[in-house]
Amino acid sequence: MVYLELFLSFLMIGFTSFGGMSMIPLISDQMLTHGWMTAAEVADIVAIAEMTPGPLGINCATFAGARTAGVAGAIVASFGVMVPSLTLAVLAAMFLKKFKDSRVLNEAMYGIRPVAIGMIVAVMVQQSMNNYAGTLFGCISWPAVVIGLVSLFVLLRLKWSVPKTILLAAALGLVLCGVETAFPLPV
Amino acid sequence: MTKQQLRRTLSIFLTFLKFGCFTFGGGWSIVAQIQKEYVEKQHWITDEELLDFTSVGRSIPGIMIGNASVLFGYQAAGVPGALAALLGIVIPPVVIMLGVVYVYDLVKDNLYVARAMIGVRAAVVPIIFSAMQKLFRSGIRDVFCFLVAAAGLCLCLFVKMSNVLIVLLGAAAGLAWQEVRARRGLS
Repeated sequence: MVYLELFLSFLMIGFTSFGGMSMIPLISDQMLTHGWMTAAEVADIVAIAEMTPGPLGINCATFAGARTAGVAGAIVASFGVMVPSLTLAVLAAMFLKKFKDSRVLNEAMYGIRPVAIGMIVAVMVQQSMNNYAGTLFGCISWPAVVIGLVSLFVLLRLKWSVPKTILLAAALGLVLCGVETAFPLPV
Repeated sequence: MTKQQLRRTLSIFLTFLKFGCFTFGGGWSIVAQIQKEYVEKQHWITDEELLDFTSVGRSIPGIMIGNASVLFGYQAAGVPGALAALLGIVIPPVVIMLGVVYVYDLVKDNLYVARAMIGVRAAVVPIIFSAMQKLFRSGIRDVFCFLVAAAGLCLCLFVKMSNVLIVLLGAAAGLAWQEVRARRGLS
């Protein structure tokens, strides 16, 4: 039953991630192991989620759910990722004072934050192997590498916003991939 | 439900629907909007309370802004307020994403869209990298954190362990390490 699987998948993603980018490795893992998405689609989802309003987790859940099982799938998946907010956050609201100075929570976070960073780096490695793959030397896509370097530069040096960077990358993709097709390298 | 509670719940729902439409760039833009509307204009909560909501919201699993919205809604109007805030914040992105998925499936095989998407995918790793810098500063505080991050990366890439399990291991490592430190401090 795909709805139950979607719900449970996003429930797990919800309970083991802590907002924003820390969700990407978990979403990528679940999508790929279930065969709900390809690595390229995971990249698309990250870019699309950054371009549209709303929390990354909700955007990803809606996207994955809708592509797997239509509108109902989208609702089920979004609901799954919201369960921690509906349970733990309500509890925390009731006992805010106790929660604020909870030692166990802070100590667990001391290990969770770095492990999440390690997982994000792993996703970056996996995504790189997919997104920069092409025909040059039998393994690299030169337009993708150029665009990656340009994006890195405008993000870090020129402090461009993410949506603006994505638009630039899309425009460069149109131009450079056109050039690549028109003048194929003799490799 | 008292009359005031009902009025507040309704107002929270409508205001958060509006917030939900304009939350680009992660949850922090919502926090800024809550601050403007409910701290400065309506005086429902104080700056300190809002800070508590965001920091507790961040340390609870799931969507940070969903958690913070629930904490705020509960404080303002009890459980109905919490639900109103959460629903308000997630309905707009779910609806928008459903539209996006529809369009995505229509156009993704178009040659020019495919070329633009190669560019967009090439920008995803730099985007994740730039977001991770902030995480790195708050998450990696000592050698222990660094080792945990490295272990997370290796488990992800080479052992192919489920990411859910890796997060739980990270939590366990954090708890164990703090326990060791506490004992050392005592003796």
